[in-house]
Amino acid sequence: MIGFAALAILAGVLVSLSRQINGRLALSTSAMESSFWNHIVGLGFITVVAALAGGLFAGSPAQAPWWAYLGGPVGVIFIAAGSWLIARIGAAQTALLIIAGQMVFGVLLDMWLGAPGNLWARITGVALILAGMWVSRTGRD
Amino acid sequence: MPQSAQPTHLIHFAAAFGAGGLLSLMVLFNGTLAAYGSLFFASWVPHLTGTVAALLLLAIMRPKRAKAARPPLWVYLGGVSGAVTVMLTSATLNSALALSGTIALGLAGQMVFCLFADIRGLFGLPQRTPGARDYLALSLIIAGSLVLIFFGSTP
Repeated sequence: MIGFAALAILAGVLVSLSRQINGRLALSTSAMESSFWNHIVGLGFITVVAALAGGLFAGSPAQAPWWAYLGGPVGVIFIAAGSWLIARIGAAQTALLIIAGQMVFGVLLDMWLGAPGNLWARITGVALILAGMWVSRTGRD
Repeated sequence: MPQSAQPTHLIHFAAAFGAGGLLSLMVLFNGTLAAYGSLFFASWVPHLTGTVAALLLLAIMRPKRAKAARPPLWVYLGGVSGAVTVMLTSATLNSALALSGTIALGLAGQMVFCLFADIRGLFGLPQRTPGARDYLALSLIIAGSLVLIFFGSTP
């Protein structure tokens, strides 16, 4: 359990590490080129690991709905945006606002898809996040 | 406590919030793919189609290179770090931590490392010292996220 907790924390560290390295690459090249390298290097790495571990095409991926295959192009914009932002507003601010957007849009998406959820928890959570964004925006020089 | 080095411009603020919205879409798309195929497949496909999409966008936009000098080789390894993340979370998802514990601990690891990186100016990125206001905003946003993670999806 402690081991898995450490892995989950490490996964979070690696998310920010990845964004910082991509952000550094964007400083030398461009945000879009940094997103390209992130994807092609990641692709090579996953291909090698999957070839060694096996089971890449297990299950019935052909039966997935067509829109489930759209994650790649969305990810290109997402990685480019993160690489562009991190040098401008810092790692913590970038991560925090991305988390805020992910949470708020996640609730909207869940409600639109009719996923079960607690309305009061959703209202409280979104209200706290919006309050945090308001604090972050106001009172600056 | 000192204020942040620079105020956040509205365009950066909105772009980061919108990028978070894109991330929630990615989680939905890639998660649906993982429900039909393997976890490797659900990460391999978006990296493959993303590589093609990035090539097309580079060909159309032709962005200028910021510097003529070649950057050090390690800056090309961000994709490895991202791919390892997927593999780590696939291990913890199936442990007692489940989805909510994995996300919550991931947020903690992410924020602590980000603050450390900002304060030290790691990886050649600008150094910045977060102020009291930044820590208050961080506390509110993380608190709201934890409410949603642990209580938002149970009826």
